Amino acid sequence: MARPVSLVRLERVSKEYDGVSAVRELELEVADGELLVVLGPSGCGKSTVLRLVAGLEEATAGRIMIGERDVTRLSPGRRNVSMVFQSYALFPHLTAAENIGFGLVVREVRRAEVRERVARAAALVDCAHLLARRPAQLSGGERQRIALARALVREPDVFLLDEPLSNLDAELRAQTRAELKLLHARVGATMLYVTHDQIEALTLGQRIAVLRDGELQQLGTPNQIWREPANRFVGRFVGSPAMNILSSGTAVGLDTPPGAEVGIRPEHVMLGETGVEATVMLVEPIGSEALVHLRVAEAALVARAPADAPRSVGDTLRVSLSREHVHLFDAGTGERLPWS
Amino acid sequence: MELRDRRQLALMLAPYLLGLVALVAVPALFTFALALTEYDLIRSPRFIGLDNVRELAGDEIFHTALLNSAVFAAIAVPLRVGAALVLALLLHRRFRGAGSGRAAAVLPTVIPDVAYGLLWLWLLNPLYGPITLFLGWIGPPGKTIWGLALPQFLTHPNDARAAIILMSVFTIGEGFVLFLVARQSLPGELYELAAIEDATAWSVFRRVTLPLLAPILVLLLLRDTILSFQLNFVPALVVTDGGPPPYSTTYLPLFVYRTGFEYLRYGYASAATVLMFVLTAAAVWLQWLVLRRARFASF
Amino acid sequence: MARGTSWRILGAAAIVAVVALPSAFLIAGSLRQPGLPPPLTPELVPDPVVFGNYERAADLVGLGRAALNSFLVAALTAPLSVLVASWAGFALVLIRARVRTVILAASLLALMVPLTALLVPRFALFRSLGLVNTFVPLVAPALVATSPIYVLVFYVAFRRLPPELYDACRLEAASPLQIWRRVGMPLVRPVAVAIGLLAFVLSWGNFLDPLVYLHDRELFTLPLALRSLAQLDPTNYPLLLAGSVIATAPVIAVFLVAQRYFLHEHRGAGWLGR
Repeated sequence: MARPVSLVRLERVSKEYDGVSAVRELELEVADGELLVVLGPSGCGKSTVLRLVAGLEEATAGRIMIGERDVTRLSPGRRNVSMVFQSYALFPHLTAAENIGFGLVVREVRRAEVRERVARAAALVDCAHLLARRPAQLSGGERQRIALARALVREPDVFLLDEPLSNLDAELRAQTRAELKLLHARVGATMLYVTHDQIEALTLGQRIAVLRDGELQQLGTPNQIWREPANRFVGRFVGSPAMNILSSGTAVGLDTPPGAEVGIRPEHVMLGETGVEATVMLVEPIGSEALVHLRVAEAALVARAPADAPRSVGDTLRVSLSREHVHLFDAGTGERLPWS
Repeated sequence: MELRDRRQLALMLAPYLLGLVALVAVPALFTFALALTEYDLIRSPRFIGLDNVRELAGDEIFHTALLNSAVFAAIAVPLRVGAALVLALLLHRRFRGAGSGRAAAVLPTVIPDVAYGLLWLWLLNPLYGPITLFLGWIGPPGKTIWGLALPQFLTHPNDARAAIILMSVFTIGEGFVLFLVARQSLPGELYELAAIEDATAWSVFRRVTLPLLAPILVLLLLRDTILSFQLNFVPALVVTDGGPPPYSTTYLPLFVYRTGFEYLRYGYASAATVLMFVLTAAAVWLQWLVLRRARFASF
Repeated sequence: MARGTSWRILGAAAIVAVVALPSAFLIAGSLRQPGLPPPLTPELVPDPVVFGNYERAADLVGLGRAALNSFLVAALTAPLSVLVASWAGFALVLIRARVRTVILAASLLALMVPLTALLVPRFALFRSLGLVNTFVPLVAPALVATSPIYVLVFYVAFRRLPPELYDACRLEAASPLQIWRRVGMPLVRPVAVAIGLLAFVLSWGNFLDPLVYLHDRELFTLPLALRSLAQLDPTNYPLLLAGSVIATAPVIAVFLVAQRYFLHEHRGAGWLGR
């Protein structure tokens, strides 16, 4: 496949519906060949962002660039983008092959060329054996491949993916995730990927844009998002179980400044002989580990600990936090505070 | 949306809009204008202002026609739409005899109006019509079942009206076909779910079928209300001839036809037509309000 | 057997019985000897059975030619109506909400206008265009899809399609006409067939318009020919019934053919994409 060209740029893009802001002054750049994930809870505007780039919605303000072209006012068909919908949006009355080739046929590509390109796209996602069937005869995973093939066949500048894995069962999801990552590496396409699942974001994305209520919270690599969340929301949204937030550090023996909340991930809460006293409230085993819910002074903490050390409700033990894994957030704004 | 798309959408709407204007709006305005004239279709119309309306206000025959039409609409529409719905729900699945059932349901509608009228003229004949003969057969001599008097369809006013309503209940082919198609398009999973929940047929109807059929149902109710002011024209003309006297089955369309084409008072007939339109609009409006209230109609 | 099927079969049988009986009498009546006094009790097989009524009816008013005329007009009007209705119904889904509301309201108003209000002015229009005594005024109502209700039915049908399908089409640079042709119409095929059928039936049974516009006997459609029959020999019921059977049979045949198209249980190719 020919290497697609350029990057996507959103410049202060806003979208309003009846006075309600779905997207506020968003600034975003996707590099050529990058897989950028837009992550956020439902209603945060991530699907809207995708639809704005696709041209299915018109921006209320701002500019959208694809490569050198200002596509803000262009109709979807002229932007040279492809989209994989959450529900796949396959045409029920057409075969898989006809679904894949639909865009080519509409653009009046010669039939022989259509056949060839459909075959190549199908091979990329390993669905060549399904081409003669109709969507009703395909499983969810198979339909998803057809939707992917349809997006690939036109070799667009940008691929847009709207929560493509959310309709698959857990096992299939993990497998397809890996395949998508491989596909991206093979094809080298520029992909804008929207999801609410942080695992998908962390494993697939080369960079992640975290969105909340239409506003960008943080843009960075998975590592950056994980290690240095820009605010309390990002800290809690990424990571499972969620990061612990304590209203002050004194309860756990830290000399944090007043007005600062302390964030610590469950895996960084050390249980043992040193530190502050804590009582076990609940133990949830999850395979080789266990989630231990603790009460420390007035605060509640969740810790991740190996499962072999037996703990039961009511036990007292000692809890300590390593300074280098502690995050500080402003109690009012939630913004990250530096701490040496 | 880009220019090419906008142009195509305009193109796709054009024939219909042209038809609406040329074949409905302009003729309607014409007629509404003629309502203010005295016109015998030969000499030019003569403007007489609201005299026609004043005359209509005092015209006994018009009042009778108005009442007849209103009563007919109130009774026939629920019967017709209900019958169409019941038949469609009965016959939409594939089973032995479904095809014949459907053809039978549609047959009365596709018989040409004139033939349909003639058929009923014969069926309702008080001397040798099958219905009368059957009713006489199931009861004591000279009377029908339960000792009621034999209906005199062609001479007794209420019997004649009942006959017209009866005739209209059978011609539900259009509603039947539309309900069939609509019901067929409903997703099977919902019904499978209901079967798993072991829901009764009535609750399936109320909670699944009815809400999903709501748009088509609303359309058909409105359409049938409008039609009911017009469709009894041929039956009333052919079978009862507007009688039995005086004018017990003269409905508005017949009144308008007579006034316009037999008495050649087209201006007067136009005025009656305008009032017919207003009455129809009022009935539709009323229906819309009721349906809205029941949260049935959302377009 | 699925739940409730026995009830359905019973119900269907009842309907057939209710309708079949008068139809049987109709046919029986058409086979009677004209001129005899009417039977005292309803009879299913007349004595003697006479087939001549059919021939006589056909000859007397040229029913064969009238049937051909009716067919020609209906065969033109029905597809044209489907085209106009599906185009307009489809476009209504894609246009701006404000324009759509106006057109929907106008359609409703148009529906409410009594046909009697339209008869004379339309006649004047066609007369001024020199189109009286042609089939044009009979086919012209196809421009309003025979009735605005059919536009509304198509609108409801197209609106039920999943919006993502429209989105996918837009992304593939499909124009509205292409979407209509390649995606819209195939997915509402049962509705299209049903409306084509209904338009055909309405056109076939249309009595008023041919009455007003057609003067040449050669051009008469079936309802007119039937009326001529009734005027020529008003009390000859067997003859009239024979004519009615000839007038009705073709439409029933068309219905039986068409109903297989829009009532086939195509559960797979349903309207939902999933």
